[in-house]
Amino acid sequence: MNNQMELTFFALAENEAFARMVISAFLVQANPTVSVLSEVRTAVSEAVTNAVVHAYERDGGKVVMRATLGKERVDIEVEDFGRGIADIQQAMQPFFTTQPDQERTGMGFALMQSFMDEVKVVSSPGCGTSVRMSKRLGDEAE
Amino acid sequence: MIKARKSGDQITVWLSGEIDHCAAGTLRAEIESLLSRPEIRRLNLDFTDVSFMDSSGVGMIIGRYKTMASRGGHVSASGLHPPVDRLFRLAGLHRIIDINPSERQENA
Repeated sequence: MNNQMELTFFALAENEAFARMVISAFLVQANPTVSVLSEVRTAVSEAVTNAVVHAYERDGGKVVMRATLGKERVDIEVEDFGRGIADIQQAMQPFFTTQPDQERTGMGFALMQSFMDEVKVVSSPGCGTSVRMSKRLGDEAE
Repeated sequence: MIKARKSGDQITVWLSGEIDHCAAGTLRAEIESLLSRPEIRRLNLDFTDVSFMDSSGVGMIIGRYKTMASRGGHVSASGLHPPVDRLFRLAGLHRIIDINPSERQENA
C-alpha cells in the first residue's frame, strides 16, 4: 500500500531545511540508498527554494509539499500559489535566472532533472506553480 | 558559522553544516568581509564538514570566484564529499576552481 504525506508551510528560507528533513524522514521507511536520499533531498531543496525565492512578493505565502511513497518509487509535488511562470520552457533552461545579481545560478530545474527520473512543471501566471517529480527507489548502485 | 585562518596572502575558510539559499546570504557576507583585505590573493574553501549543498551554494562559490578573479586571485576547494563533488562537476566548478585534499583545521 502506498503511504502519503502532505505538508504546508510558509514560503520562508528557514523552511528549506525543514522540507528537506521531512522528505528524508518520510523516505527512510522505504530504506533508500544514501545516493537516492541525497538526490531527492537536493531536488526538493531546489523546488522549495524556487517557491521561496520567486513565488511571492510578500511573506505569508504558502508552499505545499506532497509525497506518495510506493514500493518502487516516490512521487513528490511542491506547489505554491504565487505569481506563476509565464514561460516554463525558458525557466527550465540551464543557467537561466531572473536574479543573477542575487547569485542565483539558474541550475535549479537542471539539478531536479539530473537527480529525479521525471520532472513536470505546471504553472499559470497569477495562479501558482506545481513541480511534480518522481524517482525509482532501490536497484541503484551506491 | 565559519572558521578561517589567514596565512600571508592566503585565507582558508572551513565551511560547515548545510549550504542552501537560507545559509548562502550569510556566508556570502562573512566571506566577503574576510576578503576585504586587498592583499588576499588565494581563497581556500574547505567542505569537509558540509553535510548538504544545493545550487544556492554553487552561486555563493561562483560569487567568491568572481571577487577573487577581479583582483587576479584564485579559489581552491578541499574536502568535497561525493554529493558536493557531483554538484561541483554538474556546475562546471572543477574547471575554474582547484580541488585539493581536506585542509587540516588545527590552529584555526
